[in-house]
Amino acid sequence: MSFDEVFDVIVIGAGHAGCEAASASARIGTQTALVTLNLDMIGQMSCNPAVGGIAKGNLVREIDALGGIMGHVIDRTGIQFRLLNRSRGPAVQAPRAQADRALYRTEMRRTLEATPNLHLRQGLVIDFIIENGSVIGVELQDTRRLRADAVVVATGTFLNGLIHTGRRTYTAGRAGEPASIELAESLKHLGFPVGRLKTGTPPRLDGRTIDWDAFEPQPADERPVPFSFATETIEQPQITCFIGYTNEGVHDSIRSNINESPLYSGQIKGVGPRYCPSIEDKVVKFPDKSRHQLFLEPEGHDTYEVYLNGFSTSLPSELQQEIVHKIPGLEEAKIIRPGYAIEYDFVDPRGLTPFLQTTKIRGLFFAGQLNGTTGYEEAACQGFIAGVNAALSVQGREGFRLRREESYIGVLIDDLINHGVDEPYRMFTSRAEHRLSLRHDTSDTRLSPYGRELGLVGDSAWDRFNQRFDRIARLKIYLEETRLKRSDERYYELSNLLGRDLGDSVSLAQLSQYQNVDNELIFRLLPGKMRSNFTIGDIETTLADILYSGYIQSQRVNFERIYQHDKLEIPQSLKFSQISGLSREMVERLERSQPQSFGQARQIPGMTPAALFLLLYQLKHAQAA
Amino acid sequence: MHATDTIVALSTPPGRSGIGVIRISGPDALALTRSLLRDESFKPEPQRVFLKPLRELDGGEVLDQALVTYFKSPRSFTGEDVVELSCHGSPPLLLSIIDSLLYLGARAADAGEFTMRALSSGRLNLTQAEAIRDLIDAQTHAAVRQAARQLGGELSARLQPLKDSLLEIIVPLESSLEFVEDDLPEDLAAQVSQKLSTLAETVKSLAGTFRTGRLLKEGLHVTLAGRPNVGKSSIFNGLLRLERAIVTEIPGTTRDTLSEVIDVEGVPVLITDTAGVRTSSDKIEQLGVERTRRAIVDADLIVVVLDGSQPLAPEDLEVIEDAAQSRFIIALNKNDLSAHDADRVRDLSNGATILSVSAKTGAGLDSLCAAIVEPFSAHETFAGNFIITNARHYDLLRRTENAILTSKDLLSRRASEELVLVGLYDALRFLGEVTGETTPEDVLSQIFSTFCIGK
Repeated sequence: MSFDEVFDVIVIGAGHAGCEAASASARIGTQTALVTLNLDMIGQMSCNPAVGGIAKGNLVREIDALGGIMGHVIDRTGIQFRLLNRSRGPAVQAPRAQADRALYRTEMRRTLEATPNLHLRQGLVIDFIIENGSVIGVELQDTRRLRADAVVVATGTFLNGLIHTGRRTYTAGRAGEPASIELAESLKHLGFPVGRLKTGTPPRLDGRTIDWDAFEPQPADERPVPFSFATETIEQPQITCFIGYTNEGVHDSIRSNINESPLYSGQIKGVGPRYCPSIEDKVVKFPDKSRHQLFLEPEGHDTYEVYLNGFSTSLPSELQQEIVHKIPGLEEAKIIRPGYAIEYDFVDPRGLTPFLQTTKIRGLFFAGQLNGTTGYEEAACQGFIAGVNAALSVQGREGFRLRREESYIGVLIDDLINHGVDEPYRMFTSRAEHRLSLRHDTSDTRLSPYGRELGLVGDSAWDRFNQRFDRIARLKIYLEETRLKRSDERYYELSNLLGRDLGDSVSLAQLSQYQNVDNELIFRLLPGKMRSNFTIGDIETTLADILYSGYIQSQRVNFERIYQHDKLEIPQSLKFSQISGLSREMVERLERSQPQSFGQARQIPGMTPAALFLLLYQLKHAQAA
Repeated sequence: MHATDTIVALSTPPGRSGIGVIRISGPDALALTRSLLRDESFKPEPQRVFLKPLRELDGGEVLDQALVTYFKSPRSFTGEDVVELSCHGSPPLLLSIIDSLLYLGARAADAGEFTMRALSSGRLNLTQAEAIRDLIDAQTHAAVRQAARQLGGELSARLQPLKDSLLEIIVPLESSLEFVEDDLPEDLAAQVSQKLSTLAETVKSLAGTFRTGRLLKEGLHVTLAGRPNVGKSSIFNGLLRLERAIVTEIPGTTRDTLSEVIDVEGVPVLITDTAGVRTSSDKIEQLGVERTRRAIVDADLIVVVLDGSQPLAPEDLEVIEDAAQSRFIIALNKNDLSAHDADRVRDLSNGATILSVSAKTGAGLDSLCAAIVEPFSAHETFAGNFIITNARHYDLLRRTENAILTSKDLLSRRASEELVLVGLYDALRFLGEVTGETTPEDVLSQIFSTFCIGK
């Protein structure tokens, strides 16, 4: 078979998963092709022009700590940075930034084009070329054949995409772009179990037709928290977003036209995300709520386009316009792009290894929405892991995986491959048992050493990491050992401020635990020389470490009680069918999952406690012998 | 259904008995039975009883007539193919049948292995498996009833609403963290605090039934105390309705302590008769007195026996003084001899119950029984008389309560939700541990180590 071009790794799709995959793979040192339908749409944000959010922001910072690119790109193109959940504990805070949609695309393409070993190609992949159970290349619609030993599929919503607006449906990958039909067929032919999911997007408005005074302004943070550990300042001018509400008039119109919505006419079969409901769903499922919150988000510096966040809909376009007019402040607003719902194919992720390689075909990796997730961040982190492992597999190196207790990325992949999905999977902090230790600002200490080992964290980033690590260690000692005594000038002032006696002496670490003591106050208590050596961010990280250390410790004790045997390895030679008393069903589950440790076996769905006990007994017995 | 070997054990106690039951479980249960019966055409209908001759393996002489019952997988105790052989209860006979089965390829079952297989195949959950052990070990009717309820899945059913309420609390707290962009009810904290109090109370009252539960399972230690010759042994015998202790007119006849278990309203009560307390030069009697003092210290309840026909002696006062260190009641004996005047005793009794009895006629002994268990009896039951009888469950419920209270405390100190949630997830895990959903494997192994073979 002849090939037009030969690469090591091919990535299909240049969305958020594909870009991370191609960048990581190329920088590990393999010749990588990134094939996309349209080179002008690299890194396009199909829906909300925003990155991050609760738990999702942690994913982006984890990608950055490992040496990925999403954090850099959003830091350079974000036009409204906000740290969410500021009123709550640092473990559940996370950065979110609204992007200038067009700038984000440009910056992403610039970043990829500047990457050695990375080759951008425009084309539509229609088939895989398989030999002896391994993928060896792909075939394009224009008859070109590309050779590679590993292929990462990151097709997003394009796989068999079907757009719905009202009763009208048409095939598309997203509005204005063709769907990928042949590739979907090809995956089905290869025997991958394919299901159907749905997502939706709201209408975009012409900003010049909005009565902005009717809305409540939501300014950007004064001190933006960047995603990348390398970013020192956010250069983009920051904009204000606006908050508004629907009303009963809007709800009545939706209710009386509900049969026009493909969601309620039975036309859409795919399952949508419960936690990102369409406005139709909100009105029908929460009939008692008299209003729903909306956010008006300008899409960029150089456009009047405004994203109507919270109003995702698949009603007919003319009805969307009519209903939008009933929202106070939008009486005159013109829709420039109607909202729509899109159904697309996904492949059951339970057929993937922790490296995101398919168990069916060697060298074939899946990432992003194809695996049943939703969200740019969820997609990007899978792209990163798939790209890294595609490159490692080509180089004959051992795969790279992350554990649940050290990262949200580990939680995400673990959940996907063990439990599958029955609705689009979005990350939440509550999915992570260890969320207190998975703070966004500790992503570097948790993951950068891995990134360095993979060769994705460069020298300057590594130096920066080590310096910060060192500063926080020093700060911790200082805060724990520096005590304010009664005789200190500031003691009186502070005890007055807090309205309580602070004992004969109080350490700065103890002081930080009192209500009404914020990080800035502690920062001001540092000697002048220290204040110039440390950032407020260092203080935040150190104090959060102190705040949670007790909880993390006691949680660890509880988890250890439960998971104490997780590290026991299951030897290759062990035949599950020969474990006495183990039922055939349990043997089958074990054989299907091929767990390498007791912890992995424990997480196989449907394993009974007694079956695990029998396995444990066997492992301990083997260990003793 | 099991991929592995077939196990065999004697399921009735060793020793002579009317009938001995041998249980075989595993894929080869029926094949082994056929070989044992030397009848390859034996195709029993499941769940029906067949009378079959059992022969010696070598020689073929008929050893016994056995009743054979076949339980076809998965409709059996273990979920596997099971055969039960009911033979005559001669130890050498039973031993030789088991030997034959082992020779034919069965394996001797480990302790608790039948139950383990039932658990493994999902026929039982953990509390049900524990209930089997409790049922077998039950000493009284009430304990049997409790174990049976647990075996029927009642504990798991009781815990489910608690888990549900925990989830009801967890979910809005989680969503307030995850969906910051939505507006949430302002008074969430107050509502949650109220719900947590209710939940902690419920868990506490369920845990509180363990006092009664332990009583049902482990029983009550009651010591009869009094100066010599007030009729302690007569009361002891009266309570036992047995002539066990030697009762004579000579003071100090009972020199040792004697114990016996009686069933009082479902509670197994271990009654200990003691030597009369008096200063004596007799070496043996001194030893007896020492044991008496120990029995008094160890008792859950002391019955001070006084001779109601006699004036109070200084030694009576000493006994009351000793008994007052623990929970005690007073039995005024010999009410057949003269009318009692409880008033004289009342001043000394410090509020303890005083009963008038006659060991000789048996009058008042029923009331005495009732008074013995009254302070312990089942007013601490959970709704519907459900009680906790297992120390492991009790421990986990206490942990659950503490975890909930820690969360409530954090909430009142306005800690952020992620910290409040730590305790709530712990509580959920502890409850899950009771039924075995999240049981650490070591706890399982502890549970199984207390099983005996053949169950």
